[in-house]
Amino acid sequence: MENLILQKDKLPELIEKLSSNHVLYGPTEENGFSLFKQISNFDELNLKYLLTRVSPKSLIFKQTETLFKFTPGRKGTVTTAEVYEEKSIIFAIRPCDARSFKILDPVFEGNFEDPFYISKRKNTVLIGLTCNSPEKNCFCTSFDDSPGSTENVDILFTDLDDKFFVEVVTEKGKNLIKSIEDIFEKSTKNDEDSKRNIVTNSVENITRKMDLDGLVPKLDKMFDHELWHNTAQKCIGCGICTYLCPTCHCFDMQDESSLREGARIRVWDSCMYPEYTHHASGHNPRAIRMSRVRNRVYHKFSYFPKNEDITACTGCGRCIDYCPVNIDIIDVIEKVGVISNE
Amino acid sequence: MVDQQLLIDEVKKVVSRDDVKCVIGYKKGTSGFTISPAFAYSTEYVDKFIFNPLCKKNLAAYPLLEDKLPLKREEKEDKRKIGIVAKGCDTRALVQIIQEKGLKREDLVIIGIPCSGVIDYKKITAMFPNEEAYSTIEEEQGFYKISINGKVHEIAKEELLADYCTSCIAPNPVIYDVLIGEEVEHWDLEEHKNLDVLEEKDVGARWEYWKEHFDRCIRCYACREACPLCYCKECMADLLNPQWIRRSVNLSENTAWNIMRAYHLAGRCVGCGECESVCPVNIPLMELNKEIEKDVKNMFEYSAGMDSEEKPLFGTFRPDDPEEFIM
Repeated sequence: MENLILQKDKLPELIEKLSSNHVLYGPTEENGFSLFKQISNFDELNLKYLLTRVSPKSLIFKQTETLFKFTPGRKGTVTTAEVYEEKSIIFAIRPCDARSFKILDPVFEGNFEDPFYISKRKNTVLIGLTCNSPEKNCFCTSFDDSPGSTENVDILFTDLDDKFFVEVVTEKGKNLIKSIEDIFEKSTKNDEDSKRNIVTNSVENITRKMDLDGLVPKLDKMFDHELWHNTAQKCIGCGICTYLCPTCHCFDMQDESSLREGARIRVWDSCMYPEYTHHASGHNPRAIRMSRVRNRVYHKFSYFPKNEDITACTGCGRCIDYCPVNIDIIDVIEKVGVISNE
Repeated sequence: MVDQQLLIDEVKKVVSRDDVKCVIGYKKGTSGFTISPAFAYSTEYVDKFIFNPLCKKNLAAYPLLEDKLPLKREEKEDKRKIGIVAKGCDTRALVQIIQEKGLKREDLVIIGIPCSGVIDYKKITAMFPNEEAYSTIEEEQGFYKISINGKVHEIAKEELLADYCTSCIAPNPVIYDVLIGEEVEHWDLEEHKNLDVLEEKDVGARWEYWKEHFDRCIRCYACREACPLCYCKECMADLLNPQWIRRSVNLSENTAWNIMRAYHLAGRCVGCGECESVCPVNIPLMELNKEIEKDVKNMFEYSAGMDSEEKPLFGTFRPDDPEEFIM
């Protein structure tokens, strides 16, 4: 399908049409920042902020997911939770956040297929939005990604001031557009050029860079280096970095019950917490913060690339922006490089 | 204004002492207006130490956070003192922990900083959203002078000052071993923002207000980990048997967590604002803390962390303590 144009004054109509037969998620204003929430009209949408505070992974890999419900006793029952099949759209997802699903897919669709994740993923159309002005801790370009990448979205919107340039990338995207074709216009060569210029300009404005060259073998050699202790001594052990991260995917399972009924739930876990990997025996292989901080770095930049051939970081910068003690992942990886070259 | 050279000289003196293991202070962060906690084990690292109005972080949490590895055979525990750079509120936290016997006074060397209020990181990043770095930041006669890329921005102090600083009762350290510079004058205290508005609302409206905030909580426990007074070896929220708070993240459990956190700090919170400033989803936790602080003050004429010889509020009893809440 050719590329399209949506005039800005048609955006309310688009939102209305998309939300009429889909669960539509878009960034909404929330006490000084933005979060993805279900929206049904244009007024709820807020595109002022570059990234939502919590990444949109939370819409597909929910923080709390009920797996099954049960009742106790001799006549006790077990009922599997229904898999959510509703057609959804995530509107205005940034290319880096869209890329997180490429990283999460092998986790939930690999050796063990997770029906909850897969069904939401399958039924969700990702409508991306190009980043016209990246922020100071953006570094998606370090992962060969781009602020205007169409690689991981079904449709990509690019803001060209008075209109949006719309690239329809996948079959899923085409099918969605087909039903509302009449609100779009044809695009010209000029529009394509404008998009290219915007992306070139954005790429130039990304100042931070992470050097991934040979990182896996470098990390292999420095598991016991004092860098991990030095980095971790200022870590306070909260879950901000892992909970805001679009690729962190560790979870915990719990039975929560009252006398008459109960449910097995899955909730996000964080390797920053002392009880992460705490064994029933009482032994904890990661008993101190040093080993937990090290685990976060190794999981993203060593274990995951070894297992899945992709680095588990998108360069969104959330963990840098919101770490209360300035543990800066680019800085940590830079130090790894310096130490390896010594 | 804190004299940077004086600070560095004093920290060097402390860190060179044989009975001191390390000194915890502040250094510039890696980007924007961030500040990083800094740990100096020898004098060479001290040159990076700074103090400016961005140094809001309460470092009093660190002496209790220290990672302790199991000792190797014939290895002895390093029991030397920890030096710590501390503002008024930070020393109140230390005093409170000392009162509760969490730390011993003689295990600390406190490098006190007279403080005329700190900048709210959320306010300054909202004002300069995408600045990559600043060179200096100084307070002068009711203004902050922030120099960025050679340009000096003058911003009125009240625009950037952290809300909790306006009701601060201890701008000067309440205990210290070394004081950097002269004590600052106390300012006229103001009640914490929004308390009167909240108090006038009826219970239903107040519940609506908090419901909206707690609903957003992602239970990252940054409020707990950043708080110097949340130092329980095992937090009640982490217990599994019995499980007081479920792991499900929903309004009910989030409310239980946030209310429990606030009440466990009743008569203990020193008002440093760490919990609120680290919260990634902007829950106004200080409004809860300050309301409880106000009740404690009115009922028991008590302020936490002012005197290390005093007993903690919940460790004392007076026959004339108010008891209207007892049926």
